[in-house]
Amino acid sequence: MSSPSTPAGPAGEDTAAAYLDIPPERRAAARAHVALLSRTADRVARELPISADVDDFRRVLREEARP
Amino acid sequence: MTDLAALSARALAQAIRDKKVSSLEATQATVARLRDCHELTNCLIALEEEEALAAARAADAAVAKGSAKGPLAGVPLAHKDMFDRKGKIASWGARIRAGAPAAEDAAAIARFKSAGALQVATLHLAEFAYGPTGHNYVLGHARNPWDPTRITGGSSAGTAAAVAYGAIPAGLGSDTGGSLRLPAACCGVVSIKPTWGRISRAGAMPLAPALDTVGMIARHVEDLALTLSVLAGPDPRDPAASTLPVPDYLARLSDPVRGLRVGLDEAVLTEASQPVQKMVETVLGVLAKLGLERASCRFPDWQTLDHLVQLVQLPDASAAHTAYLRARPGDYSPQVRARVEVGHFVPAVDHLTALRARGTYVKRTLDETFKGIDVAILPILADPLPTIAELDVAASPNLQAAMGRTVKYTRPINYLGLPTLALPIPRNGGLPNGIQLVGRPFAEAQLLAIGQAYQREVPPEIARPLR
Repeated sequence: MSSPSTPAGPAGEDTAAAYLDIPPERRAAARAHVALLSRTADRVARELPISADVDDFRRVLREEARP
Repeated sequence: MTDLAALSARALAQAIRDKKVSSLEATQATVARLRDCHELTNCLIALEEEEALAAARAADAAVAKGSAKGPLAGVPLAHKDMFDRKGKIASWGARIRAGAPAAEDAAAIARFKSAGALQVATLHLAEFAYGPTGHNYVLGHARNPWDPTRITGGSSAGTAAAVAYGAIPAGLGSDTGGSLRLPAACCGVVSIKPTWGRISRAGAMPLAPALDTVGMIARHVEDLALTLSVLAGPDPRDPAASTLPVPDYLARLSDPVRGLRVGLDEAVLTEASQPVQKMVETVLGVLAKLGLERASCRFPDWQTLDHLVQLVQLPDASAAHTAYLRARPGDYSPQVRARVEVGHFVPAVDHLTALRARGTYVKRTLDETFKGIDVAILPILADPLPTIAELDVAASPNLQAAMGRTVKYTRPINYLGLPTLALPIPRNGGLPNGIQLVGRPFAEAQLLAIGQAYQREVPPEIARPLR
């Protein structure tokens, strides 16, 4: 859930998306921003029924249509 | 003499049908105005003059023979450069696309062709449509036709600038986090971001497919109605395209609006600057004159919606770009590269949580926010129209905050997928800005009827630099 494990190399460095050659300061900024979002995801996940499904969105739009 | 620049697409189509003006005359005038507009605003990517003039001559020949077909026969339009056209390269506002001609037309382009419309030019957009201000570090920044030191809004920057200037009556755009509404507000024109799935996205550049919505920018609400009638409907090429019947939006423009209830969430509004709060009150005053009733409403926690939409958008955009980003990172501007990188750090579980929660949040919004109201009103920009310099943040540490403030009132609505009409505020001689009316799913006809009534009080304008 919202405590993403940081992939770490042998020296403990952050190796997520290593193929992108992201400089450390941008990597840190991205991690900080995502950590903020993940706290929200954590809270929302606790409130969601286990049956919640990605297709609910389209179903609700269709069922609630007011053309 | 008819001022072609001021005509709606609908009125121009009628004038062409009635042989009061030829498609060739209209297209020549459009080419000239697009050149002038480009000088002021940097709105153009490619002007396709010879091709458009040839198509106009063919349209005139069809009119003369009585064989012209479609509600936009002979009408010159221009569109954001992110829609496939057979044999042509859509630039996506980026360097990376050279050498990738499309095999077939995007659904929206094909429908406009079937409706008889011509395409005169391709128009400026943020790089990969990933920017809400009109800045583009590849093409050069777009400039606002009311004041070229100020932003056009983005990402559909060129469309809004050209429409506001009177170069074209209407044009295609897209909206993943505000890309139709922001430029419409900044340039003082109207836009419709339909319900997610109302218009096929086939052949449109993907930014974040779970949120991407094709829509229109115009000066006249009646053109939003006309073009939505042309564009909406099912499409086997886009499984998300809705199969719900498409109303006759033009016929529904005259639906009564008196007595409709407009909900305002005071708590959300107070996060905007004071001048913007006053603008919303001014628009509510206009709507009251039309007989709409003001009511209170409460959206789900706005910051939660804003975080959820980012949890959808960031990895969705990163996934769409990861192959390009690995192969050609140097072809991205630093700003877009920095934004596309962020999604790689979003845990898959959080992304899926945001997607799984989406239906719940839409239902909650409809059951609670929309209980007792017909539409909700929100600002579009949180602040008065910014300058290009103020938001020229490139890839600085201020990037997320500056972009977040710009899309504060727009991107949460993309999470909900609800239809949204952008309307300009009464300017009273000042700079443009806009508000958005948010409707229930597939209630575009109701929004457009309100917009049509609104334009009786706040008529469309042609943009020229203010002193």
